[in-house]
Amino acid sequence: MMKVWEVYPLRVAFLSIPAALLISAVAITLLPPSVSFWVSGAVFVFSAFLFVAYAWGRHAGGLLVAPAIALLFIMNIFPLLWSFGLSFFHYRANRLAPPRFAGLHYYEKVLTDPVVWDRLQVTAQLVVLTVSLQMIVGFLLAMLFAKQFPLRRVLLILVLTPMMLSFVAVGAFFRYYYEPTFGLLSQAVRVFTGEPFVLLQSTAGAIAGIVFADAWMWSPFVMLLVLAGLVSVPKYLYEAASIDRISHWRRFWNITFPYVRSLLMLALLFRTIEAFKLFDVVFLLTEGGPGTSTETIAVYVYRVSFQYFKTSESAALAYILLFTVIVLTNLYLYFANQRNRT
Amino acid sequence: MKHEKTLRAAVGGSAAVAVLSAGLMSAAPAFGEDVVLRMAVPDWPPTRIMKDLFDKNYKAKSGNNVTLEPDFIPWPDYYTRLSGSLTSGEKRYSMAVSDSQWLGAFIEGGYYQKLNDAIDADPELQQIMQDLNPALVDAYSTYPHKSKNYYGFPQMPDVLVAYYRTDVFCDEGEAAAFKAKYDADLPCTPEEMNNADWDMVQKFGEFFGRKKGETLSGKALDDDFYGIAYQAGKGYDFSTMQIASMIWQHGGDIWDETKAPTGKAEGVVNSPEAVKGFEHYLSLLQYMPPVVKTGTMDIFKQDELFREGKVAYMINWIGFAESSIDANTSKVSDKVDFAMAAGLKKADGSIDRTYNIGGQPFVLMTWNDDTTNTEALEFVKWWLSPETQVAFAKAGGQSGLKSVYEDPSYNSFRPWNHAFGTSLNNQKDIWHIPEFFELLVQQQAEFDKAITGQQDAKATLDAIAKFQEELLQETGHIE
Repeated sequence: MMKVWEVYPLRVAFLSIPAALLISAVAITLLPPSVSFWVSGAVFVFSAFLFVAYAWGRHAGGLLVAPAIALLFIMNIFPLLWSFGLSFFHYRANRLAPPRFAGLHYYEKVLTDPVVWDRLQVTAQLVVLTVSLQMIVGFLLAMLFAKQFPLRRVLLILVLTPMMLSFVAVGAFFRYYYEPTFGLLSQAVRVFTGEPFVLLQSTAGAIAGIVFADAWMWSPFVMLLVLAGLVSVPKYLYEAASIDRISHWRRFWNITFPYVRSLLMLALLFRTIEAFKLFDVVFLLTEGGPGTSTETIAVYVYRVSFQYFKTSESAALAYILLFTVIVLTNLYLYFANQRNRT
Repeated sequence: MKHEKTLRAAVGGSAAVAVLSAGLMSAAPAFGEDVVLRMAVPDWPPTRIMKDLFDKNYKAKSGNNVTLEPDFIPWPDYYTRLSGSLTSGEKRYSMAVSDSQWLGAFIEGGYYQKLNDAIDADPELQQIMQDLNPALVDAYSTYPHKSKNYYGFPQMPDVLVAYYRTDVFCDEGEAAAFKAKYDADLPCTPEEMNNADWDMVQKFGEFFGRKKGETLSGKALDDDFYGIAYQAGKGYDFSTMQIASMIWQHGGDIWDETKAPTGKAEGVVNSPEAVKGFEHYLSLLQYMPPVVKTGTMDIFKQDELFREGKVAYMINWIGFAESSIDANTSKVSDKVDFAMAAGLKKADGSIDRTYNIGGQPFVLMTWNDDTTNTEALEFVKWWLSPETQVAFAKAGGQSGLKSVYEDPSYNSFRPWNHAFGTSLNNQKDIWHIPEFFELLVQQQAEFDKAITGQQDAKATLDAIAKFQEELLQETGHIE
């Protein structure tokens, strides 16, 4: 005798989804939460089981990936969607009051909040400065390490070390480095001026301090990517160029640069996204000070979310930021592709 | 065959052990229930000492097997970790050591248990509440502030006191030079230092600010030296505690939550007296180590600078005192003495030492079952019994019980104790409402602008008053 799922395997498996949804909807409306939770859970487990039974032997690949996808969904995508939902409700995570629908209230509030715009400007300033510095330093380092010289490997490891340190270690290190009484920087400057050097006392100084610390940590990352491009340039091109007596400048633009361009763009993309989220170094070095002059949008989101506990507002703000980063990234990819085509 | 026998013997033996242990386990309830008091606590000496004393001395009267399991959490993460645990609903803790200003947020959240019924039903607890200094009950226990709703008991009461270097202040050469310059005696003993007001502190700052190579107490300095230090950091409440004290001493006020909903922020927070107090606070920063200009001179930085021997006089919490007299952590361990923190001299010659209270209460959680709750309260009674409090104070803690700290022997336990009891009556506290953090963060950022020289005292307090007025109106604390 043929079994049901052998006759209508596909239909049974797919029908189980609306059935599961229906049963859980009924359970949630009729039963108390402690019971309906388990009912819904059981129904979904059953429907998952049907899928596995159906796919067994036919879609082994999909089944093998399924646990990873499920984990990703539970740990990552579901909370993401949940917080997206919360951004449309009045809700504070430190209160027991249930969420009330708020529509687009928090999006409107965030977009018209002068504080948010101020923090975005601070962030933009830091992004431009720190990413530019990282690109320049990273590129120069890569040019240096593309050549062979004694102790190159040892130096390369040393140069790469900052990138592997934890953010907090780097923040704490630079806090001491800039400290006017005990710090190395101040001690060094004092040899010449006789006065302790207080870098973080002005807005410009604080920005310089943050940009330097961030660039110190992440220039090696840019270097690593560019270096990969540089070593892939075929030697015969340089040989041909030197036979033709092409200038160094022309050699760089016509041979070297085209090989590293795409990797440079990739480094730019990664670093821009990361710099947009700059939190650790700022929080440890200046806590956003003096005043709020170095408070980045990431620090502000942290304050709204975990100090003020305005959960909905912070969710709305975080989604606007996510949206901004996605738009910027896509714009960038679009232009990068255009240029590659030409 | 032999193998089989061995196997049988082994199986038989393990079965016997299993039966025996099962018997023992089922007999266990006859000795009392196992109760675990899991407590969130900040990681610092007062809570470490508590755990030690508990493990050595505590026996539950009920016969239950009670264990104290504190989670020691570093101070800078403490609020985030505790709030994370409470709001996640994991119900991990049955008790916590909470900063007093968090009461509102966590009571409104439904996490901290109201203790009035327990206190009403227990004469021993009533007696403890009677014996506690009223300033501590107000700050650590009541919500709304100064109401009759009780939520906490003191774990470690703390106040700001003066730390000073005896090798500097008691040096004859320095005293003579000070006398010649200001026609005033340089204080040396704690009794003399107790008379120091802000004018005197300003003189300390000016007089002891020395450059590398100059002499101090007859020795050439190998690094710059600074006269004074108090908190001026942007993080948490690391400037508010000193600034609020200064404003109160000058006759100004902060927004007073006990006057809600008619009490205003605008006109109070930025009153002329408050501005004067804040200007006074700012005027002394020039005598402090240069890190003050960056707005990162928090209580930890101050403590470090003092222990490294860079500062002559500092105002900080008693909680740091133990490490300043420990030779393992302090370069000045044998050269430190303590006095009441400086205050403002009034027209009648008295010194106003109104200060912001520190320290933390214990709280109990709303989800505790009856057994845990009973044992938690028994633990609190044990902690606030005179014997335990004396042992705590001897080990470096403080007691809020009048019967303990007013006893003359108390002052002999630790060198700073004489400054503790006398300071307690002058303590006030900032806000306890759920919006505490918003008020604090905005205020700290504005104070930081003034500390780093970006705006003056008036503009700072105006900006704070405006923000508070709007926020408090929005949340219904001001009509």
